[in-house]
Formats: sequence, C-alpha cells, structure tokens
Amino acid sequence: MIAVENLSKRYAGGEVVKGISFSVAKGEVVGFLGPNGAGKSTTMRMITGYLPATDGKIEVAGAHLPEQSLRVRQRIGYMPENVPLYPEMRVGEFLEYRGRLKRVGRGEIARRLDLVLDQCGLAEVRHKIIGTLSKGYRQRVGLADALIHNPPLLILDEPTAGLDPHQIRSFRELIKELGQDRTIVLSTHILSEVEMVCGRAIIINRGRIEASDTLANLEKRVQAGALQIEVKADPATVLEKLRALSEVSVATEISQAGDWVAVEVVAVPGKDIRGEVDQLIKRENWPLRDFRREKARLEDVFVELTQE
Amino acid sequence: MTRAFWILWKREAGALLLSPIAWVLLTCMALVSGFSFSQCVAYLGQGVREFTVMQIYFYIFHFWFLLIILVPVLTMRLFSEEYKTGTIEMLLTAPVRDGDVILSKFFGALTFYLILWVPSLLGLAIFQAWTGQTVPVAWAPLALSYLMVALVGMFYLAIGIFGSVLSRNQAVAAMISFTIIALLFFAGFLSYLVRDPGWREALTYVFTLEQMRSFSAGIFDSRPVVFYLSGTVFFLILTQRVMAGRRLKG
Repeated sequence: MIAVENLSKRYAGGEVVKGISFSVAKGEVVGFLGPNGAGKSTTMRMITGYLPATDGKIEVAGAHLPEQSLRVRQRIGYMPENVPLYPEMRVGEFLEYRGRLKRVGRGEIARRLDLVLDQCGLAEVRHKIIGTLSKGYRQRVGLADALIHNPPLLILDEPTAGLDPHQIRSFRELIKELGQDRTIVLSTHILSEVEMVCGRAIIINRGRIEASDTLANLEKRVQAGALQIEVKADPATVLEKLRALSEVSVATEISQAGDWVAVEVVAVPGKDIRGEVDQLIKRENWPLRDFRREKARLEDVFVELTQE
Repeated sequence: MTRAFWILWKREAGALLLSPIAWVLLTCMALVSGFSFSQCVAYLGQGVREFTVMQIYFYIFHFWFLLIILVPVLTMRLFSEEYKTGTIEMLLTAPVRDGDVILSKFFGALTFYLILWVPSLLGLAIFQAWTGQTVPVAWAPLALSYLMVALVGMFYLAIGIFGSVLSRNQAVAAMISFTIIALLFFAGFLSYLVRDPGWREALTYVFTLEQMRSFSAGIFDSRPVVFYLSGTVFFLILTQRVMAGRRLKG
C-alpha cells in the first residue's frame, strides 16, 4: 500500500528526515513511534503529498508522488495533527463539503455522510457548529473527514493527542474497528497506544528508522524481563545457587521479610531461565510464594532504541 | 472550470457571506457610497454643471478611499487564516489543484465584491426615478463605469490575495496589500509632475482615476482592460509561486 524508498527532507535549518525506507502492506495497522521532533509528521506530510520530498521515492496505492499527486490524495484519508477544521461550519455541512471535494458523487454523498456520522458517533451533533464542539467530538469530525470518501488508506497524525482517558479509549476502539478492512498508519508518542492498536511499529528517531518490526519481535530485542522469586531459605545460599546456573547472568537480593527472601534473576540475553530456576527450587525444596516474570515492555524497547 | 473549483467557490463565497466582516463591509459601503452620492446630487443641484452624476460619483474621493481600504480588509483572511489555523493542510491534501484553491478564493471574493456595489446601483436607480432624466444614467456610461469597477476590483483583489498568502497574520496581510494598492493608485498622479514623456506615458497606464473618468463618460479604451486583466493574472501567478514556496519551507 505504501512503499517509501530513501526518503529525505531538508530544510534550511537542517535535515529532518534522513533517507528512510519502509513499506506498509495492504491491511496492516502500523504505528509510527518516536519522540517529539523525530520526523513523524514530516514523513506523513510527504506521503500525503502536502510537502514535497527533497529526495527519494514514494508510492501510495500504485500511484507515484509527486507526478500522480491527485490520485494519491484521492486514495488517502488524512487526519492532520491538531485536527484543523472550519469552526463556523456545521458538522454535516462540513463533511458534505469535504466529501464532494474528495470526489464523492452527488448521488452517493448522502449515504456516505450517514455512514461516517454513524461510524464516528457524530449523529447527534450533525447540526451543531464545529466551533462549539468539545475536543473529543472535533477529533471525531477529523476522523469522519478522513473517512468520507472511503479511502483504502488512513493516515492519522497523533489521533488521540489532547483527549481525556475515556475519549482515548473509545477512539482506539474505533481505530481498531476501522483497521479490519483498511490500511492504517498512525503516529503517536504514546507507547500503549501502539501496543493496543497496531500490529507493527516503526520507531523513528532523529530522522532515521531505528526499528521496524512486529511488537512481539521488538520486545525480544531487549533483554527478556527479569524474573522475581520469593523463597524461604538462607539468602546467601539462594544467591550462590542461582548464580551457579548456566543461563543466569545476574542474581540480586531485593528484600527480606522474616525468613523469606525476594531475589531478582536476570537471564543471559535471549534465554528463558524459568525452567532452570523452577528445577533448582524443586531440587532444593525451598518453599516458594512468588514466581513471576516482568514482561519486557515496548517502553523499554523504545527507550533503548531512542536514547542519546 | 473544474468541479473542484465550483465546490470550493461555493464554500468561499458562503464563508464570506456568513462572516461578520462581510456585513460590516456591506454596511460601511452602503453608508459611504450613499453619503457621497447624496453629495454629488447636492453639487449638481447648485447650478448648471458640465458633468453627469455618474462622472462625479465615480470620481469622488469617498469612492476611491473606500475601494483602497475595502479590498485589503475583504481579502486579508483568505489565506492568512488557513495558514494560521492549519486548515490549509486539510485543504491541500484533498485531491484539488493549487490553482483551483487560488481561483476559488479569488472568484469567491469577487462575487462578494460585486454584491457590495449593488447599493450604489440602487442610488442611481432612485436618482433616475426621482428626476425622470434619461441622459445622466445612460446605458453606455453605466455599463462602462461598472466594468471599470469590476476590472479594478479584480486587480486589487488579486493583490489582496497575494498579500494574504504572504503572512499568517491578517493585519500584516492587509497592510501589505494596502501598501501595494495605494502605491499603484497614487502613482497615477505623478503623471502630472514628471517631465519625461516616456514615464508620463507609463504612468497614465496605471492612472485609475483618469481611466475611470473616461469610462464613466461612456468612452471605452482597451488599454486599461488589458492592464487590469494582465495585472490580475500576474498577482494570481505570484500567489501560486508563494504557495509552492511555503510548502518547501514546511
């Protein structure tokens, strides 16, 4: 659906996007992840044809930029950052205007309008003036605008920024639902959003792609999470025996409560030590009351990949 | 004209007519043109004059003052506001050409501008009905006067749109277009002062007031028509260049 090759963007002030390449297959939901100022918005604006690229190739749904810009724009539903709208227009009127502008036929527009109003939960504010709507509703109007011409590809720039937790939750549900029959690229700096909505993440930092993989694979890239156990035994012995295991790299005492000692065990990268530790505990007959592994989080991946 | 143009034009003209600024302008226009028209009539009533009411009306200072101020105010928000609120991004990521966007804004403003002149026509109609004369408001001077109003309006509106694309700040945009329009308008008066015949000739091309004088007397001249039309096209092309340049800067 999207094929980007060696894309770069230079301004007088410097290079914002530095020769990135990636592709997005049909039906994928991809998260663009990166700290503020990483080049996410610039990249999205180049894909939508709004900003001309300094260098590189962009192909969207079989059409090339910048030669076939109108055809590309026709196939993209784009929701810009901060969702700019005309505040003096009414919701229905605005969406009808946008639909017509994006070449929805006169006979079709009423049906499309009803559909997106319903899909985005806007039916009850259809006749309201956009300027009087809450941030959450305005965000929905932006999404409805992106959907009105039924594009195969949605590009959403920070779609949940500025929403309250309830609104964020319902917005994510909506995006998930839309992702079932569309290709979606969304940018965010909220990691949990990617975890909840996207099948794949592209991590961008300072104009370069640091990683592009499924969430599960990304998590594997950082040290598998540490294992925490709590047993009733002599602390020194516990640590000594654990450290003797072949796949354990570090074992440290966290706390003691009465006879109980809590220990954190970190594996050699790429190894799963749960089995080995379990066998050790059974062999030594240590009473056990806690055994859990901290799951490696996308946040760790992100921090590790984007640190200075 | 493409389909996108008509959809955009409808929205532009609609947005202008629904904005408070439009009704303020319309009121000011009706007030000032009504006032200056009644002054013209009072002047004519003092004795035998060698002018018709049309000639005085379109020559009087009120009239030009209004035009020079009104156009920048009418056009200042057209692009400035879109750039300031970011709606330009939404607009230009729809499948529309830059040219459609510029032309729709231009013709949208022109539509409203022409509506602004309706009250002045009413003044002339009342004058005619009251006096029962046919000569002062003959068809040729009437048509030519309003043709000139339209031509000058197109040129000034194109300058106004150019000013608007230069800045996100509406006041700055208005000031830029006001300066260009005022310079062009008052440059004509220099033709009285310069000695060099080449310069004098050149300055008469931009001497709007003199051109209006001959048009309102019913004398047609093709030079101003060419001048204002090509000037309009020139500033609209400049606008397109600036728009493309703004994208390069992000």
